[in-house]
Amino acid sequence: MQVIENLKVKEKLYIEKLHNNLTVMIVPKPGMKKKYMIWGTNYGSNDNKFVIPGEQEITEVPNGVAHFLEHKLFEQKDGTNSLDTLTALGVNANAYTTNDHTAYLFECTDNFYEAMDELMDYVQNPYFTDENVEKEKGIISQEIRMYDDYPEWRVYLNALEAMYHENPIKIDITGTIETINKIDKEILYKCYNTFYHPSNMAIVISGDFEPEKLLEEVKKRLIEKSPCGEIKRIYPDEPEDIVKPEITQKLEVSNPIYAIGIKDTKNEIDKRKMVKKQLGMEILLNLIFGRSSKLYQELYKDGIIYGEPSLDYEFGKDYAHVLITGMSTTPREMYKIFKESIRKLKNSGINKDDFERLKKMIYGNYVREYNDVQDIARMFLADYFKGIYSFDYLEEIEGINVEYLNQLLEEVFKEDKMVLSIVEN
Amino acid sequence: MEHKIEEIKEGIKFHTINTNKFKTNLFAIFLTTKLNRENVTKNALISMLLRRGSKTMKTQEEISKKMEELYGAGFDCGLDKTGNNQVLKFYIEAINDKYLPEHGENILKIVLESLLDIVFNPYTEDNGFKKEYVEQEKNSVKKRIEGKKDNKARYALERCIEEMYKNQPYGIYKFGYEEDLNKINEKDLYKYYNELINTCKIDLFLSGNILEEEVKEIISENENIKKLKEREPFFELQKFPEENHQKEEQTITETMDVIQGKLVIGLNVNIENEEEKYTTLMYNSILGGSANSKLFQNVREKAHLAYVASSSYYRFKSIIFISSGIEVSNYEKALELIKQQVEEMKAGKFTDEDIENSKKGIISAIKTIDDEQDTGITYYFGQELSKSNVSEEEYIKKIENITKENIVDIANKVQINTIYFLRD
Repeated sequence: MQVIENLKVKEKLYIEKLHNNLTVMIVPKPGMKKKYMIWGTNYGSNDNKFVIPGEQEITEVPNGVAHFLEHKLFEQKDGTNSLDTLTALGVNANAYTTNDHTAYLFECTDNFYEAMDELMDYVQNPYFTDENVEKEKGIISQEIRMYDDYPEWRVYLNALEAMYHENPIKIDITGTIETINKIDKEILYKCYNTFYHPSNMAIVISGDFEPEKLLEEVKKRLIEKSPCGEIKRIYPDEPEDIVKPEITQKLEVSNPIYAIGIKDTKNEIDKRKMVKKQLGMEILLNLIFGRSSKLYQELYKDGIIYGEPSLDYEFGKDYAHVLITGMSTTPREMYKIFKESIRKLKNSGINKDDFERLKKMIYGNYVREYNDVQDIARMFLADYFKGIYSFDYLEEIEGINVEYLNQLLEEVFKEDKMVLSIVEN
Repeated sequence: MEHKIEEIKEGIKFHTINTNKFKTNLFAIFLTTKLNRENVTKNALISMLLRRGSKTMKTQEEISKKMEELYGAGFDCGLDKTGNNQVLKFYIEAINDKYLPEHGENILKIVLESLLDIVFNPYTEDNGFKKEYVEQEKNSVKKRIEGKKDNKARYALERCIEEMYKNQPYGIYKFGYEEDLNKINEKDLYKYYNELINTCKIDLFLSGNILEEEVKEIISENENIKKLKEREPFFELQKFPEENHQKEEQTITETMDVIQGKLVIGLNVNIENEEEKYTTLMYNSILGGSANSKLFQNVREKAHLAYVASSSYYRFKSIIFISSGIEVSNYEKALELIKQQVEEMKAGKFTDEDIENSKKGIISAIKTIDDEQDTGITYYFGQELSKSNVSEEEYIKKIENITKENIVDIANKVQINTIYFLRD
């Protein structure tokens, strides 16, 4: 296996691409009793339009198929459910779907190999029937309706809605009750056969292991699959402009909840630059609106905001945006002050002391990610599907300087790319 | 991993958990005091106010800048209701010096001193807290209180607790009451703060790769620690059996603008001693604690009525809450099905396999206690509050020894107290 060592956090990544093109990554954690295994496919809620390898025509499926598959993969031919089997082993099993990947996982102290048997069996052997697909619709409907009651989730989705015309990032991961009702077992098999090919997947394991031995255990449990060609994914062209500057929704909340979105149309293609930009944006966002910023201090003092805003920069294959979410008594006024402070910062330029301090903070935040096997495994998987090795963040941060941040400030924080999403009474 | 306790003064303990598993050191200060209506709002306000400034770091901005400078040391405050006690929690998590890009810095010492300063040496003016800070934090607490209804599932749970424990300490909302906020001023609050600091139970926790002698010296030499008085801590130990004022099963339905109905059922577990808690943990696991549980299997997998169908055990109050999100029109059906599971537990309708599986799950969770820094601290703090001292090995043994008869016995001590339904 190839070994990549990071001297800052003193951790090693063992990585191997197997003959069937499945990528296996192992991050050993000697002394830890907890073990974590995650198997992901580079297939999420964004992948609704594609050309199946070997076919000519475009296949289009209803929204929510990736998530539906995540629920259904646990079904076994003998009538058992793998979630039950894993739970019975005393392991903590779960699965989740994002916009670009779906992942199946378990965490345990004992019975690791038994659990691995089950995980690798159910992910490789789908079993869908009309009956088990139908039954899941009731459960997923309640999951969708649960999210409908979360104001934080609504304000987030609405912000995406206001930023994007076509990009599937704005689609709710679960789909809607209407779209999931169109899903049947044929659609599930079609998507499974397209996207659950080893060449489109990666496994990450973290815990107290000998990597080479563990790799053999993974190999033993793999089913031969014939090689497959490249999946052509079709994403719509997204105009550079936003859809609308403001979006509001009425929900029973005590005080308004807001999300400021900034559509970033200058998406980096080079991986190193992506990592650098992510880090730069995290420093910059904290500089603008973090705990120590003037903006936060003043808005808090004046009672315009309360609680700390969450500051995120999210990016994927063909989208990137800033999202600032929080609670405000007067979100429109807060937004005006926010924009003013950006203008001021552009004029004055970034203060070097602030920059150095927040750079240290972001470095520390990345080091902390290495405390827990779960955080490690999830991070390496999500980054891998973006083409990034997680260690890169610890290395790239050194090269970031004030000039680069000033440049990002100009490039990303454009008023005509900003939207305000509000959920209020 | 090694857990040691040193009593610095009567009522004040310093716990060290020496471990090399983490990149970080976690330092925590917990102030525990009896929960009552008179002081709850003041405690909530104090937990927010102390973040605003100390005598050495006078503003929040100064504190934040210092934390950022320490490679983003995470400074956090929390407020818990644990049994009939209110716990004010303060944390700083900072990376261990070993993982700093430049060597030679002693971050840990600064972290310890900073948190002690924030908690025990607050910024004051004219023998009171700073008026401006108090007024602003009153506003923040008010927003917290109002925000109770924002998360509907959480709100349904809070309402169920309130109805179960009407006019009792446990029924008090941990962030306090809006009408009480107006009565508080900066002078009285400071007076109360001093009373709290002089009477509450104080626990300091430090988990990480540490040199014990060095940190003990830092703590014992610290001026803020020196000025603390001995005390007979003002907190409440759990009583067995818990007093249940609400004797008859009650049903409460309320409306709100919700899309999905939220059903919460509060169960009393009338256990008589600390030992029976282990069996209750098993009971809860079989009833609704995992994917193999009766609630998950029957309400979700077989009847497809819900996505969430689970139960959780509140060990400091001997209660279990069942939660489920359902279509409003399915209320009767879901309730009946849930009640049936509670009844079946009493009749012993669960298998040996259910017992074995639950044991495996619980034991696995016990084994990971020292793989998570905050979980370790929570575990040892729980022992503090119940005055028990059970090692992980003993804990595992207790779970292993539980029999079906034990669980059925507990099942028959379970009583539905309150059924709460939030609907549109």
